[in-house]
Amino acid sequence: MAQMMRKFVVSNMCVVVGLTRRSSARSLATGKTMPVKKPDLPPEGEITKSVFMSQSTDIYTNLAMEDWMYRNMDFSNHHVMMVWRNEPCVVIGRHQNPWLEANVPFLGEKDISLARRNSGGGTVYHDRGNLNITFFTHRDRYDRKYNLEIIKRALYRSFGIKSLINERQDIIVRDKYKVSGTAAKLGRLSAYHHCTLLVNANKADLSKALAKREHGIQTTATPSTPSPVANLADLDNRVTVESLQTAIGYEYLRTPALHIDDAGERHISKQRGFQFVNPTEDWYPGIAELRDELTTWDWCFGRTPEFTVSRSFPVPAELLPSKLYSATQELIITMTVEKGLINDVTLNIPPGLIESGFHGEASVITHLKGKRFTSEALAALEDAMLTRHLTGDIRKLDEKEQFVAKCFDQVVNTV
Amino acid sequence: MPLRRSKILVKWIYENQHKMQTLRRCSSTLRYKELEENSVQATLEHVAPVEAGAPTHQPRPDTTPDISFKYDDLRVSLAAPYQLQRKPEAVDLGFGKYFTDHMLKINYHTELGGWQKPEITPFENLSIHPAAKALHYAVQLFEGLKAYRGVDDKIRLFRPELNMERMNLAAKRSGLPMFDGEELIKCITRLVQIDQEWVPHSETSTLYIRPTLIGTEPTFGIVAPETAMLFAILSPVSAYYKTNSDGAVSIYADPNVVRAFPGGVGNRKVGSNYGPTIEITSQASKLGHQQVLWLFGPNQELTEVGAMNIFLVYINEHGDKQLSTPPLNGLILPGVTRRSILELASQWEDITVKEEVMTMDRVIELKNQGRLLEMFGAGTAVIITPISNVGYLDKNIHVPTMKQKHAVYQRLKDTLLAIQYGHIEHPYAKIIT
Repeated sequence: MAQMMRKFVVSNMCVVVGLTRRSSARSLATGKTMPVKKPDLPPEGEITKSVFMSQSTDIYTNLAMEDWMYRNMDFSNHHVMMVWRNEPCVVIGRHQNPWLEANVPFLGEKDISLARRNSGGGTVYHDRGNLNITFFTHRDRYDRKYNLEIIKRALYRSFGIKSLINERQDIIVRDKYKVSGTAAKLGRLSAYHHCTLLVNANKADLSKALAKREHGIQTTATPSTPSPVANLADLDNRVTVESLQTAIGYEYLRTPALHIDDAGERHISKQRGFQFVNPTEDWYPGIAELRDELTTWDWCFGRTPEFTVSRSFPVPAELLPSKLYSATQELIITMTVEKGLINDVTLNIPPGLIESGFHGEASVITHLKGKRFTSEALAALEDAMLTRHLTGDIRKLDEKEQFVAKCFDQVVNTV
Repeated sequence: MPLRRSKILVKWIYENQHKMQTLRRCSSTLRYKELEENSVQATLEHVAPVEAGAPTHQPRPDTTPDISFKYDDLRVSLAAPYQLQRKPEAVDLGFGKYFTDHMLKINYHTELGGWQKPEITPFENLSIHPAAKALHYAVQLFEGLKAYRGVDDKIRLFRPELNMERMNLAAKRSGLPMFDGEELIKCITRLVQIDQEWVPHSETSTLYIRPTLIGTEPTFGIVAPETAMLFAILSPVSAYYKTNSDGAVSIYADPNVVRAFPGGVGNRKVGSNYGPTIEITSQASKLGHQQVLWLFGPNQELTEVGAMNIFLVYINEHGDKQLSTPPLNGLILPGVTRRSILELASQWEDITVKEEVMTMDRVIELKNQGRLLEMFGAGTAVIITPISNVGYLDKNIHVPTMKQKHAVYQRLKDTLLAIQYGHIEHPYAKIIT
């Protein structure tokens, strides 16, 4: 109390005096020069908490808001828990491969956004039935277990749902169903830990969006670990995204900042409480730029660690000259993709296809280099093959070329 | 036995002396008399130059009564998520259209010993008896101050202690109870801390704080109310106000309309000063002017403009640039911005600062001699509004405010904004988080 009084009555000049006095007293006592002491973090009793509720359901805006807060806010004496939800989207981790993790053509079809977040970890599917929570603290006060405990206690206190936290720090209900995903980012001054909770997500779309097709990708990118999942609403129909975020919010506010305990309603009244946030440029200058960066192809796809794709396709009999071959005639397409762009392409064309007059090789391959690993590359391939026709009339690819193009399409698109 | 009884009695008196109003009333009245004398003194002198960082030149009038609410008794009840308001787009904020999620309320009941415990509750309507004195006899007063989010992300209040003094002075006149300004500042600080996210992180918006004190006693007698309520509400405001295309306003002066009169409450921030200005302001608006210039007396003295104090910049008889504003003679509201401008400008070497009575004739004379440079209004809501035209009788007096190369008003505005947003460290801006 006396400390607070001091802050109000005297201007901030007093604080500066206080700090220098302390460090000079130390050097007097020890007789040697102390290194510049970084200011101590405030004790638990001086930390107040807020629960921010994002007004936006756009994944890019919300990820940008997370980033903005991480870069711009001071969490030394203010811990924040932000709750948010998004329109259907797939979010991959910082070092992941979107083609490996998600069914990219399906996403395009169903207008589901793809976003790459700043923190590591695995891929998640979000929709309005999914609650996202981000815990912000000072870097030195980062505590994942604390955050997950809060969620576990809230589930029990408000809905009677018992859960456990496993060694991979997932929240498991009914002993085997995962209801959360978790990822974190630690910086120099601030840290955040975010998790998602499946409340009432569309499980059918979820499995389709994350379906792994046969892809032939070899990579060192972080793979996701699939687990059986369940919606919390299936366990207790009182659970909705609103009721859950309120329950977790209150549990967060009633718990002291640094250790798990129930400090009750009285503690809640000392906090800053719930707040809506409107993550727009006027309220948070600089957020628009962060958001724009997250929507670019270069970030979502271009940041993929280097990988190699290799697929083989048996050549249909009708394209081969009538002859018996000793080995199965297979077209093997191998590509290395760096920064989302095709770097190196190798086409292993079987002798049967060459004999029947297929001409594609070197020039076709060089056309592909530097193209994005999407249908853009396929279009470039078709163009290249067309230009090889010596007579200008022919605008169509011949069957063999069509076959190669189709195989190519399969490599790029169904991956 | 008699010994023991008197000891207990003495102990009881010692512990409860603060509740015995009758013992202290005369000393409060004495203090108020001193206060009035101080303010009369000040009007007769020039403003003395002040060093930056030095305490204010006037001794702070002691408006602290002995009985007040205390910040330590504050009870907070935070709003639940369903009670919160969604935040609008920052461009839609306007002034006083949107309010935050919480409010501060402190009740006063003479029957219960005076001020009750302060509380912060979710924002809600008031339930008020139809006979409440505030509704009939304007037994009320209000204040206006702002909280700014600085460049270092810390929130600052601008000279809140001046608003507290002003509130107490106004309370006295209407029989409303006085209180300890420091305690109210602490309560408001907690309120701002809770609703902090209502202050955008950009420099174009601020949080406007409106403490109000109303007499709620439900009887028709025109006497001091026995019950009252002090409440404070917050409104996020954007910095954009309606002006002409060049950013200046045109004002209208009608000698037949009077805002305040000697012996009245022109120098107090009470609602009854503002309601009756609505008709003339809308008439002025129809004639193409944005504000009304309030004149007084047979000499057409300039007093205030709209809800702001008025300033003029002109070349005086010695050939120096002079900044003038009417003195605090009872007709003028002692604005916080006004006072800050006088104190800041007094430190500049290239300008003379003077509190003097200005008349319309003087203004016209200066204009005709080409010596009138600038005219502007100053107040918490807009900080500074430059004036480019005065409509008076049938004439339009054009003031070359916007044509000045190194305009005084711009320099003052920039300095005040720099202090408020923490670009410059200054004792005027009090950090509260």
